[in-house]
Amino acid sequence: MGRKSKKTKIFFIVSILPVVIALIIKLNQFFSDRTAIRGIYIFDNMTIAIYLQFLILILALFYGTSVCSEEVEGKTLTYLTTRPVSKSALIVGKYTAYTSLIIIMTSSGVILSFLILNLNDLLDFSLYKILLRDIIVLSLGLMCYTAFFTFIGTIMKKSILFGLIFSFGWENVIQYFPGSTQRFAIIHYLKSLLPVPRTGRFSFLMFRLEPSPPLFAVFMIFLIIGVFLGLACILFSWKEYIFED
Amino acid sequence: MNPIVETEHLSKWYGNVLGLSDVSLQIEPGITGILGPNGAGKSTFLKLISGQIKPNIGTCAIKGEMIRNNYPLFSNIGFCPEQDAFYEELTGWQFMIGLLKLHHFSFSEIDARARKALEIVDLIEDKDRIIKSYSRGMRQRLKFAQAIAHDPEIIILDEPLNGLDPLGRRKIIHLIKSYKGEGRTIIVSSHVLPEIEAMTKRIILIHQGKIFAQGDVHYIRDLIDTHPHIVSIKCSDPRHLASKFIQEDFVLNVNFNSAEDTLLVETNNRDKFFGLLPSLFVKHNIEVEEITSPDDNLQAVFDYLVGR
Repeated sequence: MGRKSKKTKIFFIVSILPVVIALIIKLNQFFSDRTAIRGIYIFDNMTIAIYLQFLILILALFYGTSVCSEEVEGKTLTYLTTRPVSKSALIVGKYTAYTSLIIIMTSSGVILSFLILNLNDLLDFSLYKILLRDIIVLSLGLMCYTAFFTFIGTIMKKSILFGLIFSFGWENVIQYFPGSTQRFAIIHYLKSLLPVPRTGRFSFLMFRLEPSPPLFAVFMIFLIIGVFLGLACILFSWKEYIFED
Repeated sequence: MNPIVETEHLSKWYGNVLGLSDVSLQIEPGITGILGPNGAGKSTFLKLISGQIKPNIGTCAIKGEMIRNNYPLFSNIGFCPEQDAFYEELTGWQFMIGLLKLHHFSFSEIDARARKALEIVDLIEDKDRIIKSYSRGMRQRLKFAQAIAHDPEIIILDEPLNGLDPLGRRKIIHLIKSYKGEGRTIIVSSHVLPEIEAMTKRIILIHQGKIFAQGDVHYIRDLIDTHPHIVSIKCSDPRHLASKFIQEDFVLNVNFNSAEDTLLVETNNRDKFFGLLPSLFVKHNIEVEEITSPDDNLQAVFDYLVGR
């Protein structure tokens, strides 16, 4: 029921920002005399720096935590919990709706950025494989982070603050730890699905110590989705939510 | 008659605050009014019997089945919450459709039920306006509409008349009474006795989380009528009016306010008092500006009844 909300409008604009950046870069290339950098190279870096390390975390954080908290804070939860629908179905239903929405938002931005940056190579079909792979990885990231934040939203009141610390603290630090510690970060599994090493200015963002095998990474991503969504359902059914006056 | 709602030793507390204490009762089909001052435990009771919160002690069953997390039961329960909360950006129509979808009706049935419910509460012409633009009365009626749209057998209404103007109140009271005739169980809470009286004769009094009394409205009325009432009358000649009241045995005390334009009369028989009042005004040609009852609220009555 939140598709018309201010939040959706704001995040739609945020998800379009990389497209604006891509447009500026392309226009700059067009009017400058310098040798043009290949579009796919810029697109690769943009996927990692903007989408993977920032945008999907922000979208998943705000939509995931709101699955439960917006109903509690808005005091509209009563309308849903007095229907012949299990509480787990409510959580899974809202999770699915929000995840689909943010996947569409993100994918639209990624596709538009890709088309703008690769305007001169649109007939090079090998590039579309990269686009498809990036969209799949970002979608898996959105599914995984949203499941985690859905759980956090059902258990915590100050879930946004915790989410920000987790997203830009834990995730950004733990992935660079050696040994098995890096496997405690979701981003480790997402980066394991992308090729290494990439070169260029943003290559440090792609730095991986010991990537997991791609199949194992996919398995872990789905395991994380299942575990956190399951925990969110159990907690939501068990916990009672008292509205504050 | 078999009870529809049955509670045994139902108790609930929020931290150190007692919400409800040891409530055992049975509610049969028809309209039952839950009456009590603000903070008495009415909403806690309704939340417990609708499974929104879990009791610390005791049990609560609807038609013999435990309610908490028993979601199939809700196809037969309609709940109108106390809080004025909505999905503000949706239209009334979208709100109704969205909630009816959760009942697994077919599309055509959802459409028909939403239309019927909005017609009943006189909101059909405003169905395409966003809820944010609705007046308080319209919002109350929309809450009522969502509670009845799926045609439930049990309807639980938490303060449904809050914030309504007299016409809106009459409309909702009429609606609630019309549903009684269809063999439903309606549980309605309020802190205003005349509101409950207008809907039903069967009342449960809640005070400080406990069932204080239950039974026919006349019994409750008798309890309340033994409570002395103070009536404030602002009129053109309060001293003359006072001299007339002083002769009546049901008047216990007569006072004036500091401005001497208002008369305060304490009576132990409200019916006799209000029966005499209009005739005195007419007979002695006294112009009335305002009549209020400073302690005519349920809290004062309860305080009196519990001997405070």
